[in-house]
Amino acid sequence: MPLTQRGRRVAERLPHVRAAQGSALGCEIVRHEELCVGCGKCATTCPSGASVRGATFDVAQLLAAPDDSRRGALGAALRRLQRRAPDGPIEVPPRVTTYRTIDYQADLCLGCGACARVCPAEAIEARGPADEPDDVPLAADVVAPGDRPGAATEEAS
Amino acid sequence: MSGPATATVDTPRTAGAAQPDARRTIVAFCCRECAYAAADASANARTPLPPSVRLVLVPCTGRVAPLHLLEALASGADGVMVAGCLVGECHYREGNLNALDRVLLVQRLLEAVGVEPERARMFTMSAGEPPRFVAAVREMDRTIAALPPLQRS
Repeated sequence: MPLTQRGRRVAERLPHVRAAQGSALGCEIVRHEELCVGCGKCATTCPSGASVRGATFDVAQLLAAPDDSRRGALGAALRRLQRRAPDGPIEVPPRVTTYRTIDYQADLCLGCGACARVCPAEAIEARGPADEPDDVPLAADVVAPGDRPGAATEEAS
Repeated sequence: MSGPATATVDTPRTAGAAQPDARRTIVAFCCRECAYAAADASANARTPLPPSVRLVLVPCTGRVAPLHLLEALASGADGVMVAGCLVGECHYREGNLNALDRVLLVQRLLEAVGVEPERARMFTMSAGEPPRFVAAVREMDRTIAALPPLQRS
């Protein structure tokens, strides 16, 4: 599991914490792009910067919007006019804020599920971790008595 | 429609209906502070507008959303135009700049699905320039007349 920026700084000083990384903690985040309204709440809430408002808009996302979703009317209008399939994402003019596709980087995601909680369109699903890892070290194991931040790096060098 | 601006009984404003391509419709979203005032003034001066244009009054072009433009095109309009204040003279400070970017987005959306982007356009003018409004509508009308009919599914 990736750490926050601050967490990474701490982990660099504690070598036994580094070994504990990569274990599956937190939720699996599933994004349903066709339901996204581009409000950007997930991007402002995300603690690790895994969700960021992008500079482009994926037209296919709009064309796939179901009729009862918030972008349904716009998607339906565009589908009526459609003559060919879109080539790919389009550049978005600077003042347009909601018609942007959220860039989600799974390798930065903590799986905290904060984005799923704030999403007004229910476009983000946080699925619980599939298997609970039981070898996650407890805080007591991670920091040995007498261990001070910075001590590990001094030993290593 | 050419000729003198004074319309007689024989040449009413709907004279263009006889033309084969007069069936087209252009929806013009006009800002109350400038474009609609200019349209009003041009109507008072009896300047003929192309018969294809339908005016929609909005308080500010910043109200116009991409949905308005696309829905108009999808439900029968051949072209949509947004007529707002000159840049820097919006009565709501930046509404026309927002509208400009939304029209730009709609143009890119249309282009992405294979529709001519010039079916959506934005014009700016001040309230004291009725000729400029008429020129904008005529230019839009010419643009749409040059395009093949819009196909909808």
